[in-house]
Amino acid sequence: MKSKVFAVLGILFLFVPLGLLTSSPAWGEWENEYYLKILGYIPKGISTHIGLKPLLPDYSLKGGNEILWYYLSAIIGIALIFTIFFVLAKLNKNRKQNAD
Amino acid sequence: MHIADGYLSPSTVVTSFVLVTPLWIYGFKRLKSKLDEKTIPILGALSALSFVIMMFNIPIPGGTSGHAVGATLIAILIDPWIAFISVSLVLLIQATVFGDGGISTIAVNAFSMGFVASFSGYYIFGLIKKYKFAPFIAGYFSLVIASFVTACVLGIQPIFWVQNGHPLYFPFDLKVTIPMMVGSHLLFGIAEGIFTQIIYTLLKKEKRAVYEI
Repeated sequence: MKSKVFAVLGILFLFVPLGLLTSSPAWGEWENEYYLKILGYIPKGISTHIGLKPLLPDYSLKGGNEILWYYLSAIIGIALIFTIFFVLAKLNKNRKQNAD
Repeated sequence: MHIADGYLSPSTVVTSFVLVTPLWIYGFKRLKSKLDEKTIPILGALSALSFVIMMFNIPIPGGTSGHAVGATLIAILIDPWIAFISVSLVLLIQATVFGDGGISTIAVNAFSMGFVASFSGYYIFGLIKKYKFAPFIAGYFSLVIASFVTACVLGIQPIFWVQNGHPLYFPFDLKVTIPMMVGSHLLFGIAEGIFTQIIYTLLKKEKRAVYEI
C-alpha cells in the first residue's frame, strides 16, 4: 500500500500545474473588488477583518513563474504535512515510553 | 468551500469553535492511537493526497471553479475521525501558508470539508459497499453534502447580521448560496467520486495491513 500510495502522490504531484488552467475563483472565494462590482460596496466585515498575512498567497509569489511556485507550494504543503505527522508520532512515542 | 476570514460574524466563529473543538480533541486522540513509525508514511501520504487534490482547480461554466477534497478516501480506507483530523491539518496549512480559507473560519471549514465529508462518505460507503461503484457514490455525495453545510453557514450571515440595510459579512443569503454552492458541487462531486473510486480500488487490497500495523 505504501509504495502504491506514494506512486499516486507522485503522479498527482507531477500533474499539479493542471490546477492552474483556470483563473476562475471558487464560488464565494472572490477578491474584495468583486463585491464592489456586484453590490457597489464591500461588506464591512470582509473589508475590515484583520488576518494573518500568508507566506505564499494563492500558492504563488508575484513576479515568479506561476508553474514553478505551484510545484513549490505542493512541495511545501506535503513537507509540512509529513513534518507534523513525524512530530506527533515522536511526541506519542515519548509519552508512551514515559508511561512504561 | 474554503470560507475566508471576514466572511462570518464573530458569533458564528465562536459557536463553530465551541462545537468543533471537542470533535478535534476526540479525533486527535484517535489519530494518536494509530500514529507510529509504521503508520506515518501511509497517513502522511493520504493527507498529502488531500492537499494536492485540492490544488486541482476544475473550471465549470459560469466563471467559477472548484476541486475535490479527498476526505472520503481516508475515511473509508482508514477511519472517518482520522480523515477529519487529516483534512483539518491540510486546511490549517492552506490557511496559514497559502491564504486559502481563513483562520477564524477554520472550524467551519474543518466541519464541512473534514467532519461532514468524512462521516457522510463513510456511512454512505458502509450502506452500499457491496456495489462496485460504492467509493464513487460515497465520494460524490460526501462533497455535495459538505457543500450544503458551507452554503448554510454562509447563507445565514446576511439574514442575521445587517447594518443600515447592508450585510456586514457574507452578503448572499440561502436562496443564493444553496443553489450556487450545492449546484456547483453536483459537478465537482464527480471529481471527488472518480478520485475516491480509483485510489480506493488501487489501495483496498492492502487495506487490512493498515489496521494491523
